[in-house]
Amino acid sequence: MAVAPVLTPARIPDPQHVPAPETALPVLACSGLRKRFGARQAVDDVGFTIAPGETYGLLGPNGAGKTTTISMVCGILARDAGEVRIQGRELTPVTTVVKGAIGYVPQDLAIYPDLSARENLVFFGRLYGMGGGELRRRVDEVLAVIDLAERARERTSNFSGGMKRRLNIGIGLLHRPSLLVLDEPTVGVDPQSRNAILESVEALSAQGMGILYTTHYMEEAERLCDRVGIIDEGKIIAEGTRRELVALVGQLDRVTLAAVGDLAATVRELQQLAGVQSATAHEGGIDILVSEARNQLPALLAAATRDGVTVKSVEVVEPDLEAVFLHLTGKALRD
Amino acid sequence: MRAAVVIAWRILRQRLRDRSAIIFAVVTPLGLALAFAAIIPDFTGSFHTTITVVDNDRGEVAGILVDHVLADLTGPDGILDLTESPDAASARQAVIDGDAGAAILIPAGFTPSVQAGSTAELTILAGGGTVDGEVTRSIVTDFANAIGTIQLMVATVDASGGAADARTVAAAQAATEAASPVSVDDLVAEHRQAGISTFYAAAMAIMFVFFATQYGALAVLAERQEGTLSRLLAAPIPAASILLGGALAALALGLVSMLVLQAATTAIGGADWGPPLPVLVLIVAAVVAAAGISILLAGFARTAEEAGTINAIVALILSAIGGVYIPLSQMPEALSRVAQVTPHAWFLRAIDTLSAPGAGIAQILPSILVLGTMGAVTGAIGLVRAQRVLVAR
Repeated sequence: MAVAPVLTPARIPDPQHVPAPETALPVLACSGLRKRFGARQAVDDVGFTIAPGETYGLLGPNGAGKTTTISMVCGILARDAGEVRIQGRELTPVTTVVKGAIGYVPQDLAIYPDLSARENLVFFGRLYGMGGGELRRRVDEVLAVIDLAERARERTSNFSGGMKRRLNIGIGLLHRPSLLVLDEPTVGVDPQSRNAILESVEALSAQGMGILYTTHYMEEAERLCDRVGIIDEGKIIAEGTRRELVALVGQLDRVTLAAVGDLAATVRELQQLAGVQSATAHEGGIDILVSEARNQLPALLAAATRDGVTVKSVEVVEPDLEAVFLHLTGKALRD
Repeated sequence: MRAAVVIAWRILRQRLRDRSAIIFAVVTPLGLALAFAAIIPDFTGSFHTTITVVDNDRGEVAGILVDHVLADLTGPDGILDLTESPDAASARQAVIDGDAGAAILIPAGFTPSVQAGSTAELTILAGGGTVDGEVTRSIVTDFANAIGTIQLMVATVDASGGAADARTVAAAQAATEAASPVSVDDLVAEHRQAGISTFYAAAMAIMFVFFATQYGALAVLAERQEGTLSRLLAAPIPAASILLGGALAALALGLVSMLVLQAATTAIGGADWGPPLPVLVLIVAAVVAAAGISILLAGFARTAEEAGTINAIVALILSAIGGVYIPLSQMPEALSRVAQVTPHAWFLRAIDTLSAPGAGIAQILPSILVLGTMGAVTGAIGLVRAQRVLVAR
C-alpha cells in the first residue's frame, strides 16, 4: 500500500537545497540550557543555532536529553538556566507571542480523537491567533498538504496510524512557523509512513523552514540534517556536518574486495596509493582502509587488477554517525 | 481570556458528543427525579402541628409565652394548635402517641428567675430532628433571645435602683408586642418545604451537577494523558488560560446540566422551582460551588480516572450528608448541623425557601453567598494546585 508523504508530491518544492545567506538571523539560537530533575542533570549547558532553511539534528540515545532540550526550546518546560532566542527575540515565560514562530510536533500523537481533522486544525489555529477566512483557507491548504481533505470531517479516532501522524505534523505547520520542531516523529511508524515523513521534512527544509529534528535513528540524521549535534547524558558532545563529525574521530572508509589471484602483490601495489592507510590480504580478498573511498575507488580497482587479480565484488563501508557515537561514548546509539 | 474561551468551547463540544457525559449529567438525574417523585408519597406541604404546654410557673413571663407568643400562632391561618398538659409525663406521652408534635415544659419559678436575671430553663420534648421539634425550638429560642435582651435592660435598671419586677414584666410584654420576635410568616417561610417533585428535581440536580462539572475540572489531567498538554503549552497562550478554559467548561457543563433538569422537571415532572430569576441566580451559585469543589479535587489527583473516582465519591458523600436522599428536616439534629458544610444543604434550603409566596433573592441571599464563597475558595485552591502541577510537569 502506497503511503502519501506528509506533503503531497505536487507541493514539494524544488528539492535543491538553497543555503540561507550567512547574514540571516538564526531562527533559533539557544545557549547554556540547563535542566535538573531532582538529582539528575537532564540537560547540561546545551546550545546550538539553526539558520533559516537548515535542518539541525539532535542525535542521541533514549534518555539523552533530546526531548527535555526541545521542551525548553518550545517554552513547554521552564529552564533552570540558559537563553532561547527565536528569530532574535528572547523566549521567556511571559513572552508567549514568540512561541507563535514555532511549530511543535511532539513525539506522541497530540490530537483530539473525538474531534474531526478539521476541528483539530481549527482549534489549534485559533490558539495561534488565527480566525475567520484566513483560518478556513489555511486549514483547507493544510488538509490538502497532508492528504486528508477527503476525510476532514471524520473523527480522528477512525484514522489509521499514518493518517494521525500526518495530522500531527499538519497541526505543527498550520500557522506557517519559521522553526519546525519535530520530536522523534518516526518512532513507532511503519517504514512507508516513515519514508513519507522524511520526504516531507526534506521538502519543508527546501522551502526555507528551519527544522530542529530529534532522533535516535542514525540513518535519519544522516539523510535529513545539514548539521548534527550528538547529545549524550544531557550534553552535546560533538556538533557539525556528518563529514566533520566523521573526520573528528579520524575514522577511515573500509573497502573490501572479494578477489582471486596474486593478492600479496596487489596489496603491495595498493599500499603505494595516496590515502591508503593499510591493505591486508585474507582468504578470499583484500581489506583496504582508505580516506574518501568513493573518490579513490577507480584508482583502487586499477591497482588491484594490474597484476592479473580478478575482482568479484566491491563493498565500501563508510564510517557513520553510529560509529562516531560509539567512538565518543563507548556505547551504541540504541543502548 | 480568548484562549480560555477557545479551550472551554472545545471541551464543551467534546463532552456534548460524549454519551457518558450526557447520561451522567442529564439523563440519570432526570430519570431519578421523575421516578422518586412518582413512587415516594408527598410528605411535605403546608406545615401544621400541635404543641402541648406544661405550665408549672403560671407567672407573668410564662403567660406572655403561652398567651401571646404561642397563641398568636394558632387559628385558621396559624401553624399550630395549642393544648395544655397537667404534667411532664402526660406531655411526653402525648408526644409519643402523636397527639402533639412537641411539648414545652415551663418549670415552677420560671418567672421569678427571669425577673431576678438568673438562668431560667425551658424544656422542649419532641422527636429527634422532626419539623415539629424544629419549629417549636425556633419559637422558644426567639422568645428566649427577647427575654435575654430584657434581662440586660432590667439589670441596668436594677443598678440605678429602680423596681425590677414590674419593669421586667412590662418590658417583656412591650418587647414581645413591639418587636414581634416570632411571626407566623417567618416561621412558615423558614420551615416551608417544597413539594416532592420539586425536592427530588432539585436534589438530583445538585447531586449530579458534580458529574457535569468534573468533565471540565479534570480537563488538564486529561490533556496530559492524551498528550495534547505539551502542544497547548507550546502555543502562544498563557499557561493559566489552559486552567481557566477547564474551569469555564466546568461552569458551562454544570449550568447546562442544571438548567436542562430545571426545565425538564418543570415541564414534565410537575416541579415548581420558584420564581425564575432567583432560581437562575441560585443555580449559578450552586454550579460555582460544584465546579470549585471538582476543580479542588482534580488539583490533588494524579490522573483523570483518579479525579473522576474521587469526585464521584465526594459527590455521593456530600449528597448523603446534605439532605439529597433524606430531607434535612427528617435528619437528626447533629447530622443536620453537619449538613451545613455541604453545598447541597444550602441549595435545597434555598429551594424550600423559594416555595414560599413572595420569596425572592433577598430570602435566599445567605445560600447564594455561601455557595458562591464555597466555589470561589475551593476553586482558587484547586487552580493554584493545578498550576503547580503544570509547572512541575
